[in-house]
Amino acid sequence: MRTNRNGFLGAILVVVFALLLTACGSGEETGTDNTTATTAGSETTETTAANTVTDGPTITIGSANFSENALVAEIYAQVLESAGYPVDRNLNVGNREIYAAALEDGGLDLVPEYVGSALSYLGGTPTSDSAATAKALSDAWADAGITVLDPAPAQDKNGIVVRQDTADELGLSKVSDLEGHNDLTFGGPPECPEREFCMIGLQDVYGLSFAAFMPLDVGGALTVAALEGDEIQVALLFTSDGVISAKGFVLLEDDKGLQPAENLTPVIRQEIVDAYGDSLVDTLNAVSAELTTAELSDMNRRIGIDGEDPEQVAADWIAANL
Amino acid sequence: MHFLGEVVSWFLSADNWSGVNGIPNRVWEHVQISVIATVIAAAIALPPALWLGHKRRGGFLAVAVVNIGRAIPSFAIMALFLPISIRLGLGLGFWPTLLALFALALPPIFTNTYTAVRDVDPSLVEAGRGMGLKEREVLRDIEAPMASPVIVAALRVSAVQVVATAPLAALVAWGGLGRYIVDGFAVRDNVRVLAGGILVALLSIGTELLLGALERRIVPHGLSRAAGELVPPPHG
Repeated sequence: MRTNRNGFLGAILVVVFALLLTACGSGEETGTDNTTATTAGSETTETTAANTVTDGPTITIGSANFSENALVAEIYAQVLESAGYPVDRNLNVGNREIYAAALEDGGLDLVPEYVGSALSYLGGTPTSDSAATAKALSDAWADAGITVLDPAPAQDKNGIVVRQDTADELGLSKVSDLEGHNDLTFGGPPECPEREFCMIGLQDVYGLSFAAFMPLDVGGALTVAALEGDEIQVALLFTSDGVISAKGFVLLEDDKGLQPAENLTPVIRQEIVDAYGDSLVDTLNAVSAELTTAELSDMNRRIGIDGEDPEQVAADWIAANL
Repeated sequence: MHFLGEVVSWFLSADNWSGVNGIPNRVWEHVQISVIATVIAAAIALPPALWLGHKRRGGFLAVAVVNIGRAIPSFAIMALFLPISIRLGLGLGFWPTLLALFALALPPIFTNTYTAVRDVDPSLVEAGRGMGLKEREVLRDIEAPMASPVIVAALRVSAVQVVATAPLAALVAWGGLGRYIVDGFAVRDNVRVLAGGILVALLSIGTELLLGALERRIVPHGLSRAAGELVPPPHG
């Protein structure tokens, strides 16, 4: 065939085209915002609780296999280390079925949990009340020798999000403020119209109605792009998603308590608490007391979007807050 | 067969035959984007392919076009064009999908048309010139009709591929039959997923039959379809 002779030229054309494509692709990526928050103290400022704790069991800290959970576990680890506790890290263990089982049989001693999801896992029914859900979780896990410490204000759950300009224009700060704005388009995961904690709840609990629903993805890039491009005005994202901080979106307060509480909480084996006593509990509760959703979103942005080192991000947060 | 029974009752349910999410609307959206993509691809591919084939020039282009078509997945095109589309104010779903389907449809049409025209028996072309036909008339009256079985077959292949690939549109918030598959999967509703799959398959077969009928009308009698000469289409 005649094309044989020209196959070489064709191949070159293909290669050139492919190179062009990759060039476009990388250009796209380097275009993203690379401003990194430069926090001064890179080294953890040693808390005075001191290196007195030397003898006692090593505390094995685990986490679920996604970056936010591993970050919080890293914060626990650094705080305990600087207080002198013997710490072993076993992060990114897997999903809840795996790390919860490891916690129960002693393979792990301490993990950051989300109160609502953990309670559901144990067969309970979470509510939007953080304290009550944490209490129920504590009761549910007590028999297995697991202690639930204080929940942090920080939550990772379904969040209703708008752009800053929409919030300013319509005066939105809570989900119930959306009432009467029936000309807005809502976007979220395709399953949203059939879910209690999404469209059904927004209609029944908040009495909202939207001009249309646009099926997108589960708190992913498509939803963000649609919100940015004004294809939708209201989006369902996860409350601690770094993109909320990165894009300056406004997370509307769930003022009617539609979403079950998902506060981040240290859960720890009782035998470790028995070995070290109140000082360990106080150290971890001090972390929870300071950790907010906005800070978590900001740290998720630094790791997930700006590509910063999780250990450094954790150290910076500790330096600024503890 | 409990599951298949549920699929049958899905098709019989009146709810699934009306409104935005009803079968008629979803089929219409699917047909719309598929027809537009295929027609634009044909309009852009046919003239240069016919002319280059007539000149028996640019064989490397024919190979390159079909190779590129094979190399770039439709979904990658959609993902690449999506942010651009949003920035240009063209919205989410329709234009990125249209571009991806267009890019899928174009290579088989271009390459097969080019090859078919180029491979027309040179003695026939020479005979035409000898009878005093102008170059345009050689192409119009000899080469195009002789190549028509392959050209129409290429259009048919492209159209069927486009119809079978258009469900991707649902991943970027557009409609079409992909909505049943994507939305059904999101709520683990296997009945809806299978129903969507069946509808896509039926529409693909319908496209095949329709263009097959067209083929029999367009292709001159006496020219059997030279399907064996068809350059294989890219993978969707």
